[in-house]
Amino acid sequence: MPTFRSDEFKIAVLLSALLIAVLGPSIASATLGEPEITVQTDVAKLSASIKSSQDRAGYRVHEIQLPTGTVLREFVAPGGNVFAVAWHGPSKPNLRQALGKYFDTMVSAPKSKYSDRRHVHIQQGDLIVEGSGHMRALSGRAYLASAVPSGVNLGDLH
Amino acid sequence: MAVMRAIRMSLVVALGLSAIACGGGGGTTVSSSSSGSSSGGGSTSSSSSSSSGSSSSSGSSSSSSSGSSSSSGSSSSSSSSSSGGTGTTNVVSVIVDQGPSGNSVNTLFTSVTVCVPGSTTSCQTIDHIQVDTGSYGLRILAPVLTLSLPLETLTNGSSLAECTQFVDGFSWGPIALADVKIAGESASSVPVQVIGDSRFTNIPSNCSGTGGTEEDTVAKFGANGILGIGPFELDCGDCDTTTQGLYYACATTCTETVVPDTMQMPNPVTHFATDNNGSIIDLPAVAATGAVTLSGSLIFGIDTQSNNQSGTQTVLTVDGNAELLMTYNGQTLANSFIDSGSNGIYFTDSSIATCTTSGLTSFYCPGNTLTLGLSIQGQNGVTANNLTFNVGNAQTMLMNNPTFNVFPELAGTNPNPGSFDYGLAFFYGKRVAVAVEGDKTSAGTGPYIAF
Repeated sequence: MPTFRSDEFKIAVLLSALLIAVLGPSIASATLGEPEITVQTDVAKLSASIKSSQDRAGYRVHEIQLPTGTVLREFVAPGGNVFAVAWHGPSKPNLRQALGKYFDTMVSAPKSKYSDRRHVHIQQGDLIVEGSGHMRALSGRAYLASAVPSGVNLGDLH
Repeated sequence: MAVMRAIRMSLVVALGLSAIACGGGGGTTVSSSSSGSSSGGGSTSSSSSSSSGSSSSSGSSSSSSSGSSSSSGSSSSSSSSSSGGTGTTNVVSVIVDQGPSGNSVNTLFTSVTVCVPGSTTSCQTIDHIQVDTGSYGLRILAPVLTLSLPLETLTNGSSLAECTQFVDGFSWGPIALADVKIAGESASSVPVQVIGDSRFTNIPSNCSGTGGTEEDTVAKFGANGILGIGPFELDCGDCDTTTQGLYYACATTCTETVVPDTMQMPNPVTHFATDNNGSIIDLPAVAATGAVTLSGSLIFGIDTQSNNQSGTQTVLTVDGNAELLMTYNGQTLANSFIDSGSNGIYFTDSSIATCTTSGLTSFYCPGNTLTLGLSIQGQNGVTANNLTFNVGNAQTMLMNNPTFNVFPELAGTNPNPGSFDYGLAFFYGKRVAVAVEGDKTSAGTGPYIAF
């Protein structure tokens, strides 16, 4: 993967925000499982800003600073699609935006009889959602198991 | 504003008078297994016996899972027993039982009395309020609330509502004002949330978009309410200056808003007239296999009365997220915490087998019970070394004793590999103090946790 210059990405974000404003709903507002361009859709829709974009071995990660103080990270596979999103902060991000078409799958997943308010483990087909924490400090991630590039350590996706 | 202040002052005076009228308890000493007062269970007096707790009280499963009880005028209704000598009665009983949903495990409950502000007759005592050191504020499920509490309004006339976020879901409802009375303690005109209020049914999409379960019914919430008594004063750090997706101003529609600190949801203990610098949870030990119920005490104040002295407790200050450093298996885990609102011991160890039964796959199921080591360090550098905890086979313990609700060895995986979440099991057999930020005790200044 080529090195990614953050200036370029910021310009791209501005351009895409403009595009979204012009094209409106004709651009899919989704991210998990969608092309990298939707990272910029998220940034615009969440009134957020890109904090950093970094190439790691086997994937690229965009770190998005939300105005709420929460940090959202979106992980992009070499093929160009978002395969994971992760968050931590005082509140959860709008996951309807960040999970796109997988949001309903997450919400309708059955809950363990013994679950509490501090943890969530969801596995519905290819979608895995995990969360932990407590009031004022919540963290979690969602990923598509089959889309995780080979060699990537799941422990690094946070 | 001056009018508001005058009203509040008169409330404080009135409450002070009523507290005097109700008497300050009779100097009984508190033991860890203090029985007596009505606890979360309402009818579960049988379980409040001694500290053994093992399989004894099979008959005690009669505890009502109903909602509220009564609406007596007297503030003393929720607690008969003890105070630490000459002061206000500062002890209320707590119980671990099956809860209103019928399937709670390792979940601690108590009873709370709420009154319409300023009234001594429009009051209601509600049982099965979860006691939670991992959150802040008193939240009550609307279906169990028979009182009509006044709603908080912003200066523009909008009502204030909150999207309370938990890891597994969210709760939505307005912020109201109530006088909160627990044991002999009183807090006047405190913001409390009414979850699932039928007047606030349009959940903003940014709230429902946080995902997970909508926990707006007793069944979904697993309690009639929750009493958040963690080590901070408020449920949000910066909501007075930035919108954090928590507070909403509601007129015809609801929009995110900033909120003055005084209108945000507080740890209600910080609003008590006395004994307001923290809380102590005192629970007896329990047999390794567990128990049907476990009863103990919630004591208000630290070093304010003879029954809440710090003594030689180990004091660990917590960081800005109320977290501690725990070291497990050679790894230092920076996002760790001790939490009465977690129902297990949650940590990452890929060498321990997880359960295979559906619904239990995030819990550990080792072949034999494991005894493991742990150390816990505070921000102040103080470390509690050489602690041990046991991990039992979750499937075996849950299946072998289906009537049990207390499982000291229930443990599971933690989605955050940098976190060790030591839940209610940490409190079994201990006296654990949670001091509020900025408040002084004889042992130090909060925020801290001590045991």
